Amino acid sequence: MLFFILSAIGKFLTQNNSRDRDLMRRIASKEPEALSLLYDHYNRLLFGLLKSILKKSEEAEDILQEVFTTIWEKADQFDTERGTAYTWIVSLTRNKAIDRLRSKVYKEQKKQSTSLDDDDVFHPLYSEENNPLENTILSDRAKRVYQALEKLSEKQRAVIQVAYFDGLSQSEISNEYDIPLGTVKTRMRDGMLKLRELLSQEMA
Amino acid sequence: MADNENTLNFEELCAAYVLGSLSAEEETSFKNLLKQADTEQKQLFQDMQAIAAEMALLYPEIEPSASIKQQLIEMAWTSVNSRNGANIHYLSRFRYAVAASVVFMIVSLGLLFQTQNLNQDLSNQVALVNEKQSIIETLESEVERKEELLTILEARDVDLILMDGLDVNPTGYGKVVWDKDNGQALLQVANIPQVPTAKEYQLWFVVNNQPISAGVFAVNDPSRDNFFKISEFQQGGTGAFAITLEPEGGSPQPTGDMYLLGSM
Repeated sequence: MLFFILSAIGKFLTQNNSRDRDLMRRIASKEPEALSLLYDHYNRLLFGLLKSILKKSEEAEDILQEVFTTIWEKADQFDTERGTAYTWIVSLTRNKAIDRLRSKVYKEQKKQSTSLDDDDVFHPLYSEENNPLENTILSDRAKRVYQALEKLSEKQRAVIQVAYFDGLSQSEISNEYDIPLGTVKTRMRDGMLKLRELLSQEMA
Repeated sequence: MADNENTLNFEELCAAYVLGSLSAEEETSFKNLLKQADTEQKQLFQDMQAIAAEMALLYPEIEPSASIKQQLIEMAWTSVNSRNGANIHYLSRFRYAVAASVVFMIVSLGLLFQTQNLNQDLSNQVALVNEKQSIIETLESEVERKEELLTILEARDVDLILMDGLDVNPTGYGKVVWDKDNGQALLQVANIPQVPTAKEYQLWFVVNNQPISAGVFAVNDPSRDNFFKISEFQQGGTGAFAITLEPEGGSPQPTGDMYLLGSM
């Protein structure tokens, strides 16, 4: 059973990567249909990500539009040698969300801490509108990440959690949680290296 | 030792970078490090970036409003049109417009030229028609006058008075055919000079040494015989006819030179 799931995940990742790479190539060639397909694949995931970071739907929709506009304009800059299209798109989305989060308006707002046990944050990625097999595999991928995070020390997980889910910088984490900056850096580094070790086989 | 520190530093910056946790200054520093990174460090960066991307799966999926996609696709099509079609179409429309303008101008000039030619032809034709009309009217008038003169000649009881030239014009010749019954006469003159400006010839009927004006006339073409009709000439008796040169409009009494004279 475990073999079947890992095999399905591996196959799914390869197919998705190939599909995304083809869509990115077509978007770089300025095919609006390809942008439409890519949007259909990732809009809910990215909007969930943006909504969780930015909290406000209007801001999240604004950035979502900005993300896909950037994809349309800069698809030719995507380098397949440097990772998957999925990674590139999510990184682009998170960077834009964090830029907005650290803008003057958001700096005025109080940072809300997020717990790893918060059901809202860790709600599995089930959606009736998605392909059932895809949903299952996506949720399996989410479970793997969740399980890997669970295997980190609580201190490592907490630092990664507030950085990733709240968009806090290392200095902000240090100030907010009264942890020495060096310790924040070490916990973050060790946590990410541990995650790499845990997930590297499936990511390859 | 230094390598170890560099590795630790790279790993710290890399982990924080993929989590979006670096300050702007640190981010710039890491990007510079990444440019000089070895294969192992680049692989570490790619792996951490992929892990960070996988963590996005932990977020709940949420459906954005449908207008986002609509706006994006509209943006994409607008972009495509402006990059390719629109410019070409614009250029094509411009070229078509220029070509159409040139064709229109040539056609307009052609039509203008043709119109001018037609106008000129029409003017010529109108002038010709007018000229012909004038000739016709002249001929009709001449025919009518000749018919009137013929009517006088056709009268059964007429008097014929011949006039000869006098000293001022010895070669002159004149003839009066007088239809007394109808009170009209025909005057024929030949070889008398063209009337000077503001002058006219005047025909007189002289009875009992009293000249009675029978009318005035002008001779404009002395090379041919000239005929004139004298109307409402209700006179009786026997006398003579004379022609004198008088001021334009005639005189109550003869004042000028006498050119022709003839008795009944």
